[in-house]
Amino acid sequence: MEDDVKKVKKPGIVSPFKRVFLKGEKGRDKKAQEKATERRALHTFSLSQPDHRIDPDILLNDYIEKEVKYLGQLTSVPGYLNPSSRTEVLQLIDNARKSHQLAGQLTSEQDAVVSLSAYNIKLVWRDGEDIILRVPIHDIAAVSYIRDDSLHLVVIKTAQESGGSPCPSSCPDLNKSQTLSSLSESGAVLVEVCCLLVLAVDNKAAAEELCLLLSQVFQIVYTESTIDFLDRAIFDGATTPTRHLSLYSGKEWNRSVLFVKTFVKFQNFTCKHFADDSSSKVDVKEAFEEEGGTFPFQASVEAEGNSPTTSTPASPQTKTASEGELSTTAAELLQDYMTTLRTKLSSQEIQQFATLLHQYRNGSSIHEFCINLRQLYGDSRKFLLLGLRPFIPEKDSQHFENFLETIGVKDGRGIITDSFGRYRRTASSASDSTTNGNGAVGGSGDSAASDEGQEASEGDEWDRMITDISNDIEALGCSMDQEGVTP
Amino acid sequence: MTMNDMKNEAETAKLFSMALYSVMYPVFNQLEQVNLSAAQTLRAAFIKAEKENPGLTQSIVIKILEKKRLRINYNESLLRMAGDGVEEFMIDRQEPEFQELNERARTLKHILSTIPDEISDRVSFLQTIKDIASAIKELLDTVNSVFKKYQYQNRRVLEQQKKEFVKYSKSFSDTLKTFFKDGKVINVFDSANHLIHQTNMILQAFKTVV
Repeated sequence: MEDDVKKVKKPGIVSPFKRVFLKGEKGRDKKAQEKATERRALHTFSLSQPDHRIDPDILLNDYIEKEVKYLGQLTSVPGYLNPSSRTEVLQLIDNARKSHQLAGQLTSEQDAVVSLSAYNIKLVWRDGEDIILRVPIHDIAAVSYIRDDSLHLVVIKTAQESGGSPCPSSCPDLNKSQTLSSLSESGAVLVEVCCLLVLAVDNKAAAEELCLLLSQVFQIVYTESTIDFLDRAIFDGATTPTRHLSLYSGKEWNRSVLFVKTFVKFQNFTCKHFADDSSSKVDVKEAFEEEGGTFPFQASVEAEGNSPTTSTPASPQTKTASEGELSTTAAELLQDYMTTLRTKLSSQEIQQFATLLHQYRNGSSIHEFCINLRQLYGDSRKFLLLGLRPFIPEKDSQHFENFLETIGVKDGRGIITDSFGRYRRTASSASDSTTNGNGAVGGSGDSAASDEGQEASEGDEWDRMITDISNDIEALGCSMDQEGVTP
Repeated sequence: MTMNDMKNEAETAKLFSMALYSVMYPVFNQLEQVNLSAAQTLRAAFIKAEKENPGLTQSIVIKILEKKRLRINYNESLLRMAGDGVEEFMIDRQEPEFQELNERARTLKHILSTIPDEISDRVSFLQTIKDIASAIKELLDTVNSVFKKYQYQNRRVLEQQKKEFVKYSKSFSDTLKTFFKDGKVINVFDSANHLIHQTNMILQAFKTVV
């Protein structure tokens, strides 16, 4: 009875300390509850069990969000860290937590959302949605799940952002005041470094789900890249130099053919998937398909090709396969190229492009050409620069490639680095004499048996092709003006 | 019969001769160790019969399999066997380019023949596809360099054969894209067989035309 009485809540004086304390606690609980109700719903989908399969289209054209706790990111971690070694990874994490590089206690303050798609993982704070970091898929080396008692950690090993220096093997933590030169002077052995992104999830199921989703992303990305690699290998091999020319000129023609195909490739690529990313996801099927129908400039190209004014090769038997074939191929490719220009550039821009190309051919530097084109295309269309690769002579190719890299435009993000490495442009001794169209090597244009004469005629042929294309571009610009077409 | 059906039939017909040279030729080679005369007679008979009735050899082989109640996938088995070299297609000319052509064709066929073993594991299959891509490129590069170096009267024939090869390479790529969506391995085997056949046809073209 007395207990019952005791249990009855009696109104009376409450200790001020208690009042404040309880009020504070209640306030915090209330705030936490309010926060929970204020938080938006996650963009998520149901996954088929037991392997958490998701429709690849969602990863390609959409995204999926999962709730996690963000403990932090460790940088300058030695790249040789074995992500499947529980001991190694936990040791790093424990040390980081001791030195407060990673969060110790898990609270709602670490609440975050990981957004996953075929392009990147993005981490934002749960409240406020401020972005924490974004990691492109090709920068992810490994994903690990570690259960440490009640803690379910998902650790993502990623590339260190560019600008980070290699770390001396003797000192895992990079001393930022040290420079590379001082490191090499000291004789330290430099090792590659990486980052560890440390997340925590509620339970094992959530951790496995996240890992399996990432695994599916890798599958998609690597599969797409592999097929793309196959398509490019077929395309590269399929382009035949149809004239019996020296290797030098053959390469020039191949580059021009490749230019147009690449142009169309990236048009399709951009339309289908990205707004501003130049990852190597390309669908080249359309680029391969021949486009039927007439094209206003086709006739002029064919006529040019059939004219008897082209240079005579040194050997009389080298009546080439086919200026007819060459012209047909050129016409098709030109058609693709023009179509792309019409969709990507305004008429004024097309004329500007033609002017810049003309200037480059007539002696302006590759540097100027690149800068002006970059300005013309702007950020949203800078990928179009990739398509110019085949037009760039060998002597300027290195500068061009470096330029592409500085502006963040590069096909093949190194997902299949070994394979792509086989097909990187290599300096060829035969191509060293490439000109940028500013006159051929050697003087006479006579059909002579001399090498110089042959090179001159081959250079003339190249110039003629470029001139044709430039003129057609200019004409396209004019015709678009007349039609009043807007892109 | 629609145009598509006729097209499929024509493409299937091209593959018929694979049964002869991939399946029967090795049998005849072994038989020669036992009875040379009989083996040569059989070989000649099959070649003639196949020429007159394309698909006959394949029908015979399939019937034998049925009779023996051997539950094997014909396309898969054909693909595995197709990696072996067929001497009849090897180019005899000793110049380095032609020997390289032989070697590159052999490499491509060998890699394609490993598809049945690799296709079930995504990671290793992707590596196989990369190897196939490299092999296709190298074969085409060698074909191109032969074109560049040598002058032929019948160049159009060779160009046409190369075009066919490229066409089937693209078809193989398309088949792979579909496979990664629907998981049907049989189509990949079939497409790989076509590509092997086209590889042999390139060798044959260079052997006979040059």
